Amino acid sequence: MTWMKTQFQKELWSPYVAGILLGIVGVLAVWLSNSLLGASGAFETMAGMIGKALSPKLFDNMYFNFIMPPGITWGVVLFLGTIVGGGLGALSSKTWKISVNGDPQWRAIFGPQTWKRWLLGFVGAIILEYGAGIAGGCTSGLAISGGMLLAPAAYIFIAGMFASGILTTLVIYRKRY
Amino acid sequence: MTNYIIALVLGVLFGFSLNKAGLTKYFKIVNVFRLTDFAVLKFMLTALVVSMIGLYGLRGMGLIVFPTIPATYIAGNLIGGLIFGVGMALSGY
Repeated sequence: MTWMKTQFQKELWSPYVAGILLGIVGVLAVWLSNSLLGASGAFETMAGMIGKALSPKLFDNMYFNFIMPPGITWGVVLFLGTIVGGGLGALSSKTWKISVNGDPQWRAIFGPQTWKRWLLGFVGAIILEYGAGIAGGCTSGLAISGGMLLAPAAYIFIAGMFASGILTTLVIYRKRY
Repeated sequence: MTNYIIALVLGVLFGFSLNKAGLTKYFKIVNVFRLTDFAVLKFMLTALVVSMIGLYGLRGMGLIVFPTIPATYIAGNLIGGLIFGVGMALSGY
């Protein structure tokens, strides 16, 4: 029992153990709800809802009418659960804290400015979500969920993601790579 | 309604596993692109293998029907992936 408790309170698990947990969750999602895990789709359906309320004309297109119809979908609820789950994970290891620019590696590369961290995070996230929209999913929705169904799309996506990810980090880090 | 409760519970477990694997940290995401820390890859591929075995096993037993498999359109998947990687390396999420 105490062993269980200390394991539970560890900040980081072996990625293999955490991966097994995610794998089981992925199976359960298909088994119980006939759905796939995904995060980026939730942003798109929520954005569609806000967009349709604010400017229905602009959002009256193929993408938001058919490919990603707006609404509180299964994915949105899953996404809310993910936030709670991440928080619970941090609480369980007592590493919960509010930080605006807390990563030492980031500060070593880019400097201590907090606005830079937020700006890069924001811009990066826009690029990321745009890419996910074109490809049809993100790391969880396409790479993992598609990969476990052996969809070729997932492996093409993973190849692209790593190729450009490595290149971008090479450019950013240069000699410190 | 039950479906939403399932989504919520699975979401919590999903977030929990991401947190425990360290994927909520900037340096974990970027260091996999620097090829210095492969935790993200180990995590992703373990999840892939486990769920692949589970899903194909359950389908073999006739217990589940696969949902719509993500569409493959090579140019879109590849270009999307390339753009996605830039964003991921920049933001670290």
